[in-house]
Amino acid sequence: MHLLGRAPVIRRGGRWHTQFPAMSSSAATGTYSPAAEAGGKRREKREELRRHLAEDADWPRADNRSFHECREAFLRTGATTAASGSAYAEFGKTKVIVSVFGPRESKKAMMYSDVGRLNCNVSYTTFATPVRGQVIILELIIVLASITKGDLPIIISCASLALADAGIMMYDLVTSVSVNIIIDPTSDEEAWQDGSLMVSYMPSRKEITQLTLTGEWTDGKITNAVELCMDACSKLCDILRNHLKETANLASE
Amino acid sequence: MVGLSEGEKHFIRGGIAQDIRTDGRKRLQFRALSVETGVIPQANGSARVRLGGTEVIASVKAELGKPSILHPDKGKVNIFVDCSPTAEPTFEGRGSEELSAELSVALQRCLLGGKSGAGAAIDLSSLIVVDGKVCWDLYIDGLVISSDGNLLDALAAAIKVALSDTGIPKVTVSVSTASDEPEVDVSDEEFLQFDTSSVPVIITLTKVGRQYIVDATSEEESQMSSAVSVSVNRHGHVCGLTKRGGAGLDPTVIFDMISVAKHVSQQFITLLDSEIAAAQAEE
Repeated sequence: MHLLGRAPVIRRGGRWHTQFPAMSSSAATGTYSPAAEAGGKRREKREELRRHLAEDADWPRADNRSFHECREAFLRTGATTAASGSAYAEFGKTKVIVSVFGPRESKKAMMYSDVGRLNCNVSYTTFATPVRGQVIILELIIVLASITKGDLPIIISCASLALADAGIMMYDLVTSVSVNIIIDPTSDEEAWQDGSLMVSYMPSRKEITQLTLTGEWTDGKITNAVELCMDACSKLCDILRNHLKETANLASE
Repeated sequence: MVGLSEGEKHFIRGGIAQDIRTDGRKRLQFRALSVETGVIPQANGSARVRLGGTEVIASVKAELGKPSILHPDKGKVNIFVDCSPTAEPTFEGRGSEELSAELSVALQRCLLGGKSGAGAAIDLSSLIVVDGKVCWDLYIDGLVISSDGNLLDALAAAIKVALSDTGIPKVTVSVSTASDEPEVDVSDEEFLQFDTSSVPVIITLTKVGRQYIVDATSEEESQMSSAVSVSVNRHGHVCGLTKRGGAGLDPTVIFDMISVAKHVSQQFITLLDSEIAAAQAEE
């Protein structure tokens, strides 16, 4: 687990309200929600958005969450035995397994490249989607999803956990969170959205590795949403990191 | 793929740093744009757009279909992109699949808006003929004929032009009392035009070194660390965004890129509009 030695652990003192100290030995559960103070200098703008959200958001979400609450995250590494690394993640009803195989020699048919290659492959189980047998192929490492959507960010986060479990050196754990007007949407919520935004972020390096956006957005909203996502990403990353540490400690004992 | 020597790479990067690129352009300057409409007579609307050495065709076909159960008051729009082997020999066979899929997804993300239809290029409720029964399905196909970088911007521009060229046949609906299904009579003389003023353009900012440039050639693209494509409509609202390339970006850089893209987009929209008007006057 080189990664743990390399990447500094960033804890944002006291700001992250999770309930996860009661972690079991190899599994972590916790909810994490972005703090209101994220992006300090833009606090006022953010407050404005919050007020705006509060005005709009006077109905409960289908799963009884508040508008800035992420779904409960359950994480576990070493989910499959054959792979060099693997992880299982459960965010609410979305369940993902990621396995990492390799490193191995690249296929002859591929073009020569002087850098490594990460082949990703996503498959949905036939019972994962409301319509049976509806298969969607995305991108990423052998992933098996089940039950609900809202899943690309979870797949990304879970994949980086699996990569860490495989002992692959990384710049940082990449975590990903999506938002429409509400954070961490479920599939039902996704169907009625006006727009969505997904951020993948490496908190230690403060770098955004992927950003996608649909729907019509004003400048201020984009800034706010990106900061909200970045903050949630940092917290999710802390949860991942803590879980990895715990498992590593357990293994070395 | 572009094969460049170390010297050439250095020359390209150095030029961009000094705001004079290898073809004499500034960082935020587009290549010469030329637009032609009605290039495919079988389609309802079509356009050919040339942006320097990049050449693309977009066509719009309209077919009568059934609206989905989830959105009975809306029509459907499909966007597909294909890369012709004339653009690059490696596109032969299945070689272009990955690039085509990437371009299609990026265009769908930038032009179709949110799931509820907010920020979409085309007002989907304008495609409905009979609520829950009959609607227009639009098939937008993009074809890359010649590739010299900045395919996404060229394709989006071509789609905008093709939509402004599109005529949807006028339909008359007669409901017979005997059956539930309405009878639809498609006119082949009268056509309705689209309102394309809300169709966004895509501006791709390619980051080379510490600077970013618009309308990169494929040589410049080979030197990029990452690229951000922003789709902006006439009101200056961002309607979609995608990032390409492996390198991560600092959040402040992304925000800066978005505001630059918004600024550039307004000039590009004006330019494109005047080209559309000129192309339609020629016909």
